[in-house]
Amino acid sequence: MQQPAAPPPAQQPPAPAGNAPPKQVAQALEQLGQAGRLIADVRLGADRLLEALFFVAEKPHHQYSAKCLNLILKEESLMRQYLVNLRAIGRQLEESGVLNDSLRSRSNSWGLHMPLVCPDGAVVAYAWKRQLAGQAGASAVDRTRLALKAFTDQKRQFFPHLADDSVLEPATKKHCSPLPISYEEIGDLKTVSDILSHLEKEVPNLQACTYQRMEWLKRASSLPSAANESPTESTKDLSFPSTSKWRECPEMHAADKAAVIELLLPSVFRAVVSLHTAGSVDPDAVAFFSPDEGGSHLHARGFSTHHVFRHVSEHASMALQFFISAHPKMALHLMLHWVCSYQTLFVKVCSKCGKLLAMDKQSGLVLPPVKRPYCFTSGTSMSKNSPTEKCNLNLIQAFHIGCFSEDA
Amino acid sequence: MPIKWILHWHPNPGTTVNTQILSEVSQCAESINGVKEGRWKTTLSFYKAMVREQSIVNEFPRDFVGISLAEQPGKYFLVIRGQRLVVEAESNIQMIMEKLQSYKTRVALNFEGNQYQLGDFQLRVGKVVPMNSENLRGIVMEMEYVPISSWEKSREVMADFFELWQEALAKRSLPGHFVHNEPNFADYGLSDQYGMQHTAIQYANITAQIVATSQLQAPRN
Repeated sequence: MQQPAAPPPAQQPPAPAGNAPPKQVAQALEQLGQAGRLIADVRLGADRLLEALFFVAEKPHHQYSAKCLNLILKEESLMRQYLVNLRAIGRQLEESGVLNDSLRSRSNSWGLHMPLVCPDGAVVAYAWKRQLAGQAGASAVDRTRLALKAFTDQKRQFFPHLADDSVLEPATKKHCSPLPISYEEIGDLKTVSDILSHLEKEVPNLQACTYQRMEWLKRASSLPSAANESPTESTKDLSFPSTSKWRECPEMHAADKAAVIELLLPSVFRAVVSLHTAGSVDPDAVAFFSPDEGGSHLHARGFSTHHVFRHVSEHASMALQFFISAHPKMALHLMLHWVCSYQTLFVKVCSKCGKLLAMDKQSGLVLPPVKRPYCFTSGTSMSKNSPTEKCNLNLIQAFHIGCFSEDA
Repeated sequence: MPIKWILHWHPNPGTTVNTQILSEVSQCAESINGVKEGRWKTTLSFYKAMVREQSIVNEFPRDFVGISLAEQPGKYFLVIRGQRLVVEAESNIQMIMEKLQSYKTRVALNFEGNQYQLGDFQLRVGKVVPMNSENLRGIVMEMEYVPISSWEKSREVMADFFELWQEALAKRSLPGHFVHNEPNFADYGLSDQYGMQHTAIQYANITAQIVATSQLQAPRN
């Protein structure tokens, strides 16, 4: 039986002396990817556990209580397994020197560096450029860009619809419309509060509110789901303070720790945007829901029970990736502005076929135009008091899934 | 609550409704990728006041109906169209009326059939038959769009879907078409937010129209 001369498989800790740095880098990246997946699984498991716990707490004698308890037990053992696996990978990464500085000094002679893991968990693959290394610790955008360059395969796995690298191409390659907002105005909008008040001036029906993460979870679970409550009951019971305009929110003092932004256009949609880190202006996830939906699944990484909002959420995630990579300093404002263009979701006809509803061939569902283009260049800037800025939201076109193309 | 349009079949002059039309309509729902989900049933009863003296019988409304909706069997809806009144009560009101001998059921109709899911839309196709009889008096359809509960905001979407539905049905060359008449909910004191009372009013309206249509046609046994 021939002993394999090749390096041991990734599951076992690689012997540093036996592997060339490129192989070590590749293995480390793969392990980091696995760790990322496990962290996502743990997060999902935590969400499920919370959901089950809330359900049982509300209805202790419900017929599904037994099911929930079984689910909790099952999730708990799964979570334990994930955490054990995570610990094992962590140990492997430590031994290979990825999680500490030891390998950096070791591999200097090869001219290659191990991936650098920043304090908040972001990974930089090529930290050998000192300037970037310095920036990598400071700027979320550069870290993201570097991580995306290195993790091309992982990116294809998690974002298959971006497989053609369209997000990283220079925006000028596409037929992009000019930014709806000028750079000068955006320069003044430094905090979440500024951005939201600017937005509310533009979009009259909008109700915007900020929350800390646990606050949002409580609010989401307290929202009535339309099936169970009659409209008259639900409007009376919503005495939760954050339902008012955000300026009147009693939690105003905590706006600097905001982690979740809620945009409600009554009778049209409720969008949830999450910020990373809390108190920053960096969006990292977005999801759309019906204004009548309620429950613990209402969060920036959750999925609506309605097909139309699921499709909008999917499209919005791609738009978010684009805004973060192409306009990092304006990403939040652009994102929220773009989200508000969906106020016409149920009235604006498709700019290609001219109809409101169409049968989507892939899913076999009848849907309104759920796609809106998000590709803007930072070309012409507009005058500060331009009246057309208010109309811009209505000028943003709408397309059905089948009518939309990236060049639109 | 999700928006619902309730439509009724209007047969062409000289024709009457029959079970063939009902099965064609059901097949049409399936042809546009509708997934059959189950059965549904709503009941409507015409009430007449029980009074000792015949002379004052006319002081009581003749269009007083009670409706039990498929999605909320615990409630009972009472509608007097002439006076634009709608009231939501518990389902035991029927027993109370019976015990008090105040109102008695004159005629009761069943609306029942299959329901189909088409993504965010839900379609219900049903026949209208008197209780304890299989005489087909009409065909109704419920068209529901789950994501929206504002009547005004849903108008375009529902109109578009109705058009899509009419187009699909037109291919089958049936002797008639579906009609949607929109009641003025504001007259009944209801808001833009859709609820079961809106559904009850729509049922009261279409029943009146079905009765009027069948009275114009040659009577069938």
